[in-house]
Amino acid sequence: MTGTLTRLLRVLITLLSHHRRHPLQTLFLLTGLVTGVALWSAVQVINAHARASYAEADQVLGAQASHWVRSVSGDGVSVDDYVNLRRLGWRSVFPILEQRLTTADQSVINLIATDLLALPDEEAGTATGLPAGGWMQLVTPPHEAWYPETLAQQLGLEDGDRLTLNSGKALPPARVFSREQQGLRVFMDVGAALTLLDRSHLSYLVVAELPGDAADRLSQDLTALNPDLRLVANQQRLDLTELTQSLHTQLAAMSLLSFAVGLFIVFNAVRFSLSARRHTLTTLRELGVSQRLLLAAIALETLVMSGIGTLGGLGLGYGLSQLLLPSVAATLQNLYGAVLDYTLLVQPVTVLQAWLLTSAGLVLALAWPLWRQAQRSLQDQRDEPSQWQQDERARGRLALGSLVLALLALGLYFQLTSIAMGFTVLALILFAGAGLLPWTVALILRGVQRALPDSAWRMNWACGEGLAQLGTLRTALMALLLALTANFGVDSLVDSFRTSLSDWLQQRLAADLFVQSDTLDIDALLANPGDWLVESHRRNGLTVRWQNRPTQIRGLNTDTSDTRALPLAAETDRSPAWFDGEPGVVLANEQVRYLAGIDLGETVQIPVGQQTVAFEVVGFYHDYGNPAYQFYLPYQRVAELWPNAGEQGLGLWLGDYVDALASAEAALIEAGARPGDWTRREDVLAISLRVFDRTFAMTAAINALTFTVAGIALLASLLAIHQQRLPSYAHWRSMGVRNREWLLIAGLPLGIGLLVTWLLSIPLGTLLAGLLIYDLNVLSFGWTMPLIWRFEPARSLFWLTLLVAGFTFAISAVQARLRLPQALKHLGEDAA
Amino acid sequence: MLRLNQVVKQFAQPDGDVTVLSGANFHLPAGRSAALLGESGSGKSTLLHLVAGLDTPDSGELVIDGHSSLSMSAGDWNSLRRDRLSLIFQQYHLVPTLTVLDNLQLQARLSQRLDPAFRDHLIDRLGLADLIRRLPHQLSGGQQQRVAIARALLHRPALVLADEPTGNLDEATSERVMGVLVELVRETGSSLLMVTHSAHMAGFLDEQWRLQHGQLHQYHERLSQEPAL
Repeated sequence: MTGTLTRLLRVLITLLSHHRRHPLQTLFLLTGLVTGVALWSAVQVINAHARASYAEADQVLGAQASHWVRSVSGDGVSVDDYVNLRRLGWRSVFPILEQRLTTADQSVINLIATDLLALPDEEAGTATGLPAGGWMQLVTPPHEAWYPETLAQQLGLEDGDRLTLNSGKALPPARVFSREQQGLRVFMDVGAALTLLDRSHLSYLVVAELPGDAADRLSQDLTALNPDLRLVANQQRLDLTELTQSLHTQLAAMSLLSFAVGLFIVFNAVRFSLSARRHTLTTLRELGVSQRLLLAAIALETLVMSGIGTLGGLGLGYGLSQLLLPSVAATLQNLYGAVLDYTLLVQPVTVLQAWLLTSAGLVLALAWPLWRQAQRSLQDQRDEPSQWQQDERARGRLALGSLVLALLALGLYFQLTSIAMGFTVLALILFAGAGLLPWTVALILRGVQRALPDSAWRMNWACGEGLAQLGTLRTALMALLLALTANFGVDSLVDSFRTSLSDWLQQRLAADLFVQSDTLDIDALLANPGDWLVESHRRNGLTVRWQNRPTQIRGLNTDTSDTRALPLAAETDRSPAWFDGEPGVVLANEQVRYLAGIDLGETVQIPVGQQTVAFEVVGFYHDYGNPAYQFYLPYQRVAELWPNAGEQGLGLWLGDYVDALASAEAALIEAGARPGDWTRREDVLAISLRVFDRTFAMTAAINALTFTVAGIALLASLLAIHQQRLPSYAHWRSMGVRNREWLLIAGLPLGIGLLVTWLLSIPLGTLLAGLLIYDLNVLSFGWTMPLIWRFEPARSLFWLTLLVAGFTFAISAVQARLRLPQALKHLGEDAA
Repeated sequence: MLRLNQVVKQFAQPDGDVTVLSGANFHLPAGRSAALLGESGSGKSTLLHLVAGLDTPDSGELVIDGHSSLSMSAGDWNSLRRDRLSLIFQQYHLVPTLTVLDNLQLQARLSQRLDPAFRDHLIDRLGLADLIRRLPHQLSGGQQQRVAIARALLHRPALVLADEPTGNLDEATSERVMGVLVELVRETGSSLLMVTHSAHMAGFLDEQWRLQHGQLHQYHERLSQEPAL
């Protein structure tokens, strides 16, 4: 046993000596591992963190509870009903008030309030994020607002400070504490919050525990107390978890793509390092080292490498996640209103997953060459055919495998029902494209070679050199293709989305001024307007729960120009009935169609009070960025069905003269509005697009990082190529090849390879964008848009590729030039 | 054609400097061929590399085709190698992705001295006519070396430098390759300096020199025929 161990150690030392002699190869192997793991783990950390934030929010909300009491009409639960329930003996019921607030400096915060004294013992136990003691200050005037430390830092608050809201009101004095369980929420006493926000209704009640038949009894009590209240079982976790799932899936997919690109570097480095050590491995076998011992030593070496790669990758990934988190947080906040804490933690499971992924990548890279090594006799190993011939066969196999992948993708596409499946199709297409690339490049090189006249012998030589380089270059080109395709595809998606959103906003925001005010007397404003007002559009609405999701009901004036011009994504011949004010018809947002599965002409039952009312869906409209279901009804219809529906804003079209805005503002103030309650059309547009850009900053960041990883892969490949080809370069030099000839012959194949890669990335990227827009986007968010194809992203990527390739080629060429004199001295010693 | 004057070359080694050439002198007239013999590590290949400008002497002078190493830049060496010299190696150094025809024309094209009639003559003399569309890996070792010889002679160099050109070949093939190399070198009027371990192969050439203790000694001269132009 000791003898075997000693031999194993000796073999391992022999293998590792290669790294001492060739530190650059080792550096690139580790770079591939580290960068791949880094990007993947960064997104993992963010995803895990986001889920933890939702779970923490869940705890404080009391959503661990078995049931909630919600209002069917969406009005909330009145304080009287809550008190009556308590009086009926329901001690496990406690109130929650939630509100999103905007501060004076336009920061968005989430406020949560409850009655701490009403919390049952178990719930109080789960609310351990709250500081012990000091409850009296919270519940007695002037009250306190409790801030988690991170939020207080972001808002620049210290103990005792009062946060001013954009309404001009101020929250109670701050108390900052270090526990983070409630994420970025401000905690207040429910009584103080109701007074501060002028509200008479709670958001909902939480029921901590309902043993036996208590649920039925509570339901009966609720019906007796107020038919609008309903006991809802906590069948799903929090809405946020479900709503954001698709975004996290997309993030995970993008990070896996980056990991795959990183793996290409690893694959290249491992192959090169094995090929460089082929003679060492054969010599060891000739010296009596068994195949099994050799494999064990390689496995040990792999373990060491994966360990270093994992640790380095996680360290870098953690740093990256710190950089990416603000973008992700912005996306989540803009799309879903979910607020993330900025404190990150690496979980042990992430470390384990990273190590397993890294090891799997290394094993994947090692498996084929080692298997081939094991299959051949010792003599065969010495007389290995030229690398170039092997590569030609490998290219053929790759192309064949790619066709299989493409067929699989096609088969799966017609069965597409889930986001995960969609990403599988995407991955299959990407890898099929990547696998076909080397074969395509070789085909083109051969084609060019054949087409060249005899006089173009340098080009012919360069094409031949390209075929010789392709074996080493191919993985880098494949990695680059993935990065280019992802960049072009996602750029096209974001471009299409931005254009669609911008067009949609232009149509939707037709009025000159938009007013959102709690204090405005709209009737007074519109009763006797001056000539500054051309047209007005008053909206009302409320939120109800439909299909177990928050669902917005919006009342529109059907006669106004913006409603008349409302573009529908899908309509029937019954659509005009809605514009004519027919009571039984409704328009729905696309989310209702694609996420709730409602078809045109279908009837939906919308809760109204304690009953439901049937509506025929006669059209679907675009509603970008809205995670909730939404229905449009005529204003009056909403007012009739839900008498307590609130005003949801007012659109004003102004007269076409210089002072119209000033007159409108004066009239608004006279009618009770406050400065800041209205926004000009162009400002709303600008803010919306700014929010959009913030939302997609993260995808741009991940894309840029993937491209960087591909750039590193290219550099690693070029350095490897120049090292491998150095004896040939030395021989060329011995024939008197000039520098510019060398640049042409060694550089042109790279140029051709890059050109083919870039060209292939355009149709592949378009396919990717099409899949994302027409399938995954619809499955994820429930909205549709046309794919707007532009050449501009492809052109930018071309220049970027050229820049990266030029830079990497220059580095590798300088390196080759520096080593050429040494290679010349050894000319005749090295095998060609 | 080739003259070495007091050429010194040393290599730094962990256990001290090793002198491979200590003021070596040598002269090879135009149109003559010489074999360079010596023990392994005696510096034969180093001398060949110095003559090709692939390495530089520590002191002394080399005069190749009238050009003194003392006044030649790297660019001059490159031009000299391209236009007036050629090298033949044990490993052939053919470009694996070019056909036999493209390989054998390579240096002639680089030096812009491709003579199609002479090319066809060489192809014929070297028995390569049936192989010109093939790729190097489809040839035997002897065939590959014949392509390398054709490539080395096609631009009619003034001096051919050969480093163990038959080192990878069996005895019969070696003799055939050697015979055709010597014949063609004479035919083109080039000079030939060949490094070899084999006294038998050295016997094919006009002069035999031995490198020993950093000095070159001519130990035998065989009757040579007039070069056939």
